[in-house]
Amino acid sequence: MPPAGIPPSRALPLKESGLFKEVLHYYEDRQLKKGLKTADTILKKFPNHGETLCMKGLILTHMGRREEGLELVKQGIRYDLTSHICWHVFGLIQKGQKNYEEALKSYTQALKFDKDNINILRDAAHLQTQLRHYDALVETRHTLLRLRPQLRQNWIALAVAYTLIGNLTEAKHVLEQFERIVKNVPDYDVEMSEVLLYHVRILEDLGEDTEALALLDSSAKSRMIVDRVAIMEHRARILSKLGKPEAQEAWQGLLEQNPDCYDYYKGFLSNRGVDLDAITDENRAQALEIMNDFSEQFRRAAAPRRIALTVATGDKFKELFEPYLRSRLAKGIPSVFTDLKALYRDPSKRETIESVAHALLDSLTHAPDAPCPSSIDPTMYIWTLYFLAQHHSHLGRHDRALALLDTALTHTPTLPELYMFRGRVLKRAGDPYGAARWMDQARLLDLQDRFLNARCGKYRLRAGLIDEAGEVFGLFTKKDAPSPAQDLEDMQSLLYLTEEADAQLRIGNYAMALKKYVAIQKVFDDFEDDQFDFHGYSVRKFTINIYLNMLKWEDTLRSHPAYVHAAIGASRILVQLHDNPSLATKAASESHLSEAEKKAKKKAKKAEKKVQEESKKAGGNSTNEDKGLEATPPKDDDPDGMKLLQSSEPLERAAKLLKPLSSLAKDNIQAWIAIYDVAVRRNVLRTEKYLQALQALNQAHRLDADSPELHIRVVDFKRRWSSLSDSEKPSETVAKVVASSLPTLCPDEVSLEQFNAQYLQRYSARGDAVLAAAKASRLLGAPREEVEAAVFNALNADVVLDLETAVAIHAFLSEIQSSREDEFRAACKEKFPLSTLFAARSELLALRKSAVQKEAAEANEEKEEVVS
Amino acid sequence: MNIRLARVEDLPGMQACNLQNLPENYTMKYYLYHALTWPQLSYVAEEDGKIVGYILAKMEEDVADGDEPHGHVTSISVLRSYRRLGLAKRLMIQSQEAMATVYKAAYVSLHVRKSNRAALGLYRDTLGFTVKDIEKGYYADGEDAYAMRLSLQHLAR
Repeated sequence: MPPAGIPPSRALPLKESGLFKEVLHYYEDRQLKKGLKTADTILKKFPNHGETLCMKGLILTHMGRREEGLELVKQGIRYDLTSHICWHVFGLIQKGQKNYEEALKSYTQALKFDKDNINILRDAAHLQTQLRHYDALVETRHTLLRLRPQLRQNWIALAVAYTLIGNLTEAKHVLEQFERIVKNVPDYDVEMSEVLLYHVRILEDLGEDTEALALLDSSAKSRMIVDRVAIMEHRARILSKLGKPEAQEAWQGLLEQNPDCYDYYKGFLSNRGVDLDAITDENRAQALEIMNDFSEQFRRAAAPRRIALTVATGDKFKELFEPYLRSRLAKGIPSVFTDLKALYRDPSKRETIESVAHALLDSLTHAPDAPCPSSIDPTMYIWTLYFLAQHHSHLGRHDRALALLDTALTHTPTLPELYMFRGRVLKRAGDPYGAARWMDQARLLDLQDRFLNARCGKYRLRAGLIDEAGEVFGLFTKKDAPSPAQDLEDMQSLLYLTEEADAQLRIGNYAMALKKYVAIQKVFDDFEDDQFDFHGYSVRKFTINIYLNMLKWEDTLRSHPAYVHAAIGASRILVQLHDNPSLATKAASESHLSEAEKKAKKKAKKAEKKVQEESKKAGGNSTNEDKGLEATPPKDDDPDGMKLLQSSEPLERAAKLLKPLSSLAKDNIQAWIAIYDVAVRRNVLRTEKYLQALQALNQAHRLDADSPELHIRVVDFKRRWSSLSDSEKPSETVAKVVASSLPTLCPDEVSLEQFNAQYLQRYSARGDAVLAAAKASRLLGAPREEVEAAVFNALNADVVLDLETAVAIHAFLSEIQSSREDEFRAACKEKFPLSTLFAARSELLALRKSAVQKEAAEANEEKEEVVS
Repeated sequence: MNIRLARVEDLPGMQACNLQNLPENYTMKYYLYHALTWPQLSYVAEEDGKIVGYILAKMEEDVADGDEPHGHVTSISVLRSYRRLGLAKRLMIQSQEAMATVYKAAYVSLHVRKSNRAALGLYRDTLGFTVKDIEKGYYADGEDAYAMRLSLQHLAR
């Protein structure tokens, strides 16, 4: 008879029960082969023993036979639904698949049958944290503390759980109790120091500043807190909040420790009643005096001098600016301009900067071909030219910038910065090919510098030279990586992925563009997964403050510009696919694989074959190697992105990508436009669809009521809405909401044609508005000739037309198959003389060649340098 | 330029900076591991919210018998356009102070590619490191590394 409580199907005879224990041991020690053999011995006699089946499944999973393993585990659970081992094993496997929701369900089942199992409780706590189930987390942490009060980390973990749920008072109580009973803390214990800093933070967040200060001071004195910078920062902040006179000294102490930290200057000034971000005429002189004192005290620090430039105005600004600029140009500091750029918001400072810099240049100028006179500092001369080129380029004066750079290049042809910036000016002026060529020349001047290399690659991508970009990137990526692109993706280079996706989109390769945007999404998924291990790690290490910061960061991860950009970019492609599904099949039939993609495809095939062979070999159980529970990322089986482009439900995928943006990018109008475009097309409940679309429009309206993109969508929405027949109209409530909020966007009494005409009239001097009105009238069914004529108005002298809009208009004309495309192109060539963006198709090949042209000798030299 | 302790939200910017400058790159998890284990040791240089330089540092975990606790610079770099401002030195000094005061580090170590003359110059001439050893084939591509060291005894208190 089996012992009480054990179901007969689970009970094993003495011998097998001993073997089962061995299986568990072998598994613990990762002696996978022995474990497997022993499990098989049991199963020979008891093929339906659930727990053994699960353990065998778990071991197989570790050996890399994942599907087979999972099948066995599922089978095992079916035979023994009340075994905590079975559910625990299932949970472990789901956790390995990063299926945290399901894993937590399995752990919850397991706990039903073994409620005090420490390992299961701990894993459950990590899952609850990952999933932000903080109520449940508090319970779990309580149980763990009750079971093991002697473990320090259990106390801290409970306090953390209370902090996360927002119950700081309880968190404080737990910490107080912990500090009372903790014994034998060694001197200079960093862990205890971190716990106390966490305690101070809780007190501060509770508003108990006096208590926080007391704890901080006593712990600092007893050397229980060893992090000196943290002590000083907390002290200065809290003393300021409490209005204590010692605050000033505390800020002073911090500045002595790090005189380059803006936060400390801000703190010091704020303590004196001066808000550095909102200087007034009343406190300007005081602030300048303080900064002047600090400039004297910290002679080597740049921060006080730079802050003074922000604060000062008029003659005082000029007086401070001259020596500031002069000393930096004399040292040849390349970043002077970016350092000063923020000052350009003030037009009078901008003028002063220009006049001072030009006066300086005049004092240095000499005959261009003659050698530099000894009275003149050649370094300063070059860097002044460089600075002024940046200045003029920033203000859109491309010709002037180029002239200055040419003078500098004649003088010093070996400085990469000059070439780099010449490339940048050309890029701004609309010549991506020239830009790429100049950036390449900069790169060739210092082949060891990855920065120059990366810039060159980026500029090649901007010029649509995708294979050529890969070639330069490849000089610095890992040699054993499948491709430079793969290495950059594995290393989570958001910069590269973004540039490549945009480049693919520009050349119309939707499949590859989508693939790279999705790769960006995956990077963020990985960032999110990365936190998992720290739920356990950080409470063991006691680094709680930064752990809490990390959780907050993870919660807002997808506000990162790269994610926002990728989500919007991908959703645009997916919307186009929805509107025109033939795009996917068309792309497949004329799949113009680039050389690199062809290579990648070949490699992928090879890799696939290899994997198959290896898994065949693995079938023989020849290896004891633990492959872990986490599935290794599958080999790239879609090198040209076609599978991705053709997968179903594009709108649902777009909606999923955009979902985080409604809370994390709510001040980004492009995000709301993208959300609208998806919502209005989605085939969800009609009630929801129109309300979601309308809400997106309202949000966009809140951000910029005049936005051209919004204007097009308002017309689109109203047109769709008013074309609905009665039977198509959603519920009355929805109709009411639309009726009450649509007039804010578009008045009831005018027709859409009138509405559009009024918009155009209001913004007739804006190129982007002219385009938007033309697009709207196209939507409203206007004949092509009329639309063309409207869009040509953007070329009028009184219209502000930037390059980007001109390119968009060109694309629009080509989209509506206008016969006047060439005419528009020619006009733009005249309007933007430096630009190559309006070149005829026949000129493109030559332009592309010119961007990467280099002497064969140079190319060889390059190879040698890199190898050596 | 603002020099301050690295925060979690700086890590993507540090990663981006590293990828633009150096051939040794790491995934986010490794940055997180540094920040969450030694939150006092990594610093950034920032301009208008953009990370233009960083030091990613740690304490050596496996201290050999007879060796003293010491720090290690996993990675340090400054964007090319922000050089000549002394940022690397400023970042290094802040990190070293923290190594010495929080962890009682006796010295700090780092590795540099034998071929990377520019970096070698920075560490030796500007920051005062000395070459302690050559580690054969230290890098993934087989290149040797100089193991360099700088004493922190002057910061001991």
